[in-house]
Amino acid sequence: MDVRSQVSMVFHLDKCIGCHTCSVACKNVWTDREGTDYMWWNNVETKPGTGYPTRWEDQDAYKGGWVSDGKELSLRSTSKSKLVPNIFHNPAQPSMDDYYEPWTYRYEDLFNAPEGDDQPTAKPVSMVTGEYIDIEAGPNWDDDLGGSEIYAKNDINMEDLSPEQRQQMLSIERMAFFYLPRICNHCLNPACVASCPSGALYKRGEDGIVLVNQDVCRAWRSCIPACPYKKTYYNWSTGKSEKCILCFPRLESGQAPACMHSCVGRIRYLGNVLYDADRIAEMALLPDDQLVEAQREMILDPFDPKVIAAAKANGISDGIIQSAQKSPVYKFLKVWKIALPLHVEYRTFPMLFYVPPLLPVMSMTQGDVVKNDLDELFADIDKHRAPMAYLGKMFTGGNIGKLRYALRKQVAVRVWRRHVTVGDIDEIKARQALAEADTTPDEATAIYKLSALAGFEERFVVPPFQREMAIEMLEDPHEYRANAGFGSRTSPKRS
Amino acid sequence: MFGLPKRLTILPLFLLGLLAANATAQDPPSEESINYFRTNCASCHTIGGGRLTGPDLKGLAERKDREWLVKFLLDPKATLDAGDPYGQKLLSDARGVYMPPVAGMNKELANKLLNLIDAESALEKSKFSGFQISERPLTDLDIATGKALFNGQKALQEGGPACISCHTLSGLSGLGGGLLGPDLSGAYSRLEGRKALGAWLSSPPSVVMQPLYTNSPLDSEEVLALVAYLKATAGTGELEAESTSLEFTLAGIALAAGLMVLFDILWRKRFRSVRRTLLAQR
Repeated sequence: MDVRSQVSMVFHLDKCIGCHTCSVACKNVWTDREGTDYMWWNNVETKPGTGYPTRWEDQDAYKGGWVSDGKELSLRSTSKSKLVPNIFHNPAQPSMDDYYEPWTYRYEDLFNAPEGDDQPTAKPVSMVTGEYIDIEAGPNWDDDLGGSEIYAKNDINMEDLSPEQRQQMLSIERMAFFYLPRICNHCLNPACVASCPSGALYKRGEDGIVLVNQDVCRAWRSCIPACPYKKTYYNWSTGKSEKCILCFPRLESGQAPACMHSCVGRIRYLGNVLYDADRIAEMALLPDDQLVEAQREMILDPFDPKVIAAAKANGISDGIIQSAQKSPVYKFLKVWKIALPLHVEYRTFPMLFYVPPLLPVMSMTQGDVVKNDLDELFADIDKHRAPMAYLGKMFTGGNIGKLRYALRKQVAVRVWRRHVTVGDIDEIKARQALAEADTTPDEATAIYKLSALAGFEERFVVPPFQREMAIEMLEDPHEYRANAGFGSRTSPKRS
Repeated sequence: MFGLPKRLTILPLFLLGLLAANATAQDPPSEESINYFRTNCASCHTIGGGRLTGPDLKGLAERKDREWLVKFLLDPKATLDAGDPYGQKLLSDARGVYMPPVAGMNKELANKLLNLIDAESALEKSKFSGFQISERPLTDLDIATGKALFNGQKALQEGGPACISCHTLSGLSGLGGGLLGPDLSGAYSRLEGRKALGAWLSSPPSVVMQPLYTNSPLDSEEVLALVAYLKATAGTGELEAESTSLEFTLAGIALAAGLMVLFDILWRKRFRSVRRTLLAQR
């Protein structure tokens, strides 16, 4: 057992209102420089939709992630034999058109325009070329199902739906959608790290954050096709790749990442979990529908004395272990089992989990009449607007059972709370609903509290980073005593 | 004596040199100039053996004065183009073939050669009375052998390079021959036939060919075979060669276009813009 600590996240999709505050917070802090203007380390997509970059989930085109033949795991994008012929050009990269060409407006035209018959306008200019452009796409172009005839229709997760289901989803498209905020998943088995010919990408030992070393990166751009979530980006100005750093400078000083801190809907949770790194290789070979369970198995119980002993033997401090015991992620993922990884079939074991959205049907229009034709307030999940097959493709690798479990439990929590607060559902019925969803009144209350009432400290359990101790594992600080001082570091720029 | 500057000793040496120069005018031709004539001149000229490519040189001194002849040897083309009637006549006799510039020619060498020509002209039978090429009729076998020699399919006995490395011929299959040397399609008619062409091939005098073939000359049978081949291919004009190069260019363009199409087909599943593809499908 090789116990390691990983900073992990849960996004509660039922709470996301799609306001993009997280994206803007991230952009302002990290990607407001030349060359990064098209990057959205945090972006919010509307589902069904094609996301950013367009149709990033289409791995036939983008060649992201791993494939397993049951014996061996291999990258879809590259291999030892493909690396050399493709070293100067990885074919499967999204073009700038697939991301979008970043633009601004010539605002000064509003003030400087000579007097004329028409109002002056601020024309859009490309932030890359500085030329006037026609805006054709943006990072959230299909927000709230805009242009759904093109975008939502081509959502790859709808592939397995029957024509009727698809028709149904599209015909009621204006009601059935949800938001999917995405950041780097800081995977346990990151394809970007595996693909890098320079060894510039690495997964930090103490917290599992995946980073690009800007001094080592040689712009081979292998990571860009390799990452199935398209969360590594090439900075065209510095000639280096960049990605979400999970705001590690903020984490190291005990703060939540900028996107999480600013989240209006409070959908984001952060905490560390302990996992067994020895089992990754074996687990990643399992069939798609077993991967959710496999990943859960790798996450270890931080209360188990054996795990604690193994963690300590591996140099994990008491503070980190205690933090793992308080982690909200552990509760959502292992205790309640209602958080699921996004596209686990890419076999990178993403460490960002999502509580799937319910999308219940409340009422329907029939002619001019709005009618609630449901027998009960909380209908069965199969009557919900998003088909199970659709959500299952996204969150469970096609394992509908795991998805039903997570959704049923959420419905049961609502039934129980309705009973407690409103009282129009009687106790027997409410308890029956809980039992059917494999939960108890206590657990339902705990889920309700962490979902709806949790404060800052409960949502963000930032582990004590102890950088001063972490650095001692790599080098002796006394050696550098009196060597470092005041000065500046040069930013990575092409000379 | 010791007080005299050394400069004074140069004068007698200089005078001695003048004497020596004068002396060459009367001495019998040296071995050096004989060899020179053999390798450089004999391929086009005889002394008393009749015309090859160039005129018979017997009695040269009676035709023109020494000064003109020296000037001619130093720069044949300029002298022929100078426009005097004798030069014009020479050029028309040679059917427009200019005498090539002679390797290493200078005033002293020109005088030595003219002395040699004068001396040989005086003889009853000069040792340069003509290149002897077999008079036997040329057969199809000769033509085939010549072709093989030209193309380099059959190696030259003394190891000289095959003609095709520098020359092309109209009607040569494949990519044709090299373009460093002239097209040899008209060589047979230009050099007026068997004897002159044979003489040229036995000791090629041109600046490029001479150093290559001096130490690895062609065998007389090889000469004959090549003459046969060049004769067989003669008459097909240079106009045809022009069209060959146009065809060659067009073939190149067609091949490049074909390769592009092939790559496009082989790599048809390559990554293309995803978003634009979506828009196009609509």
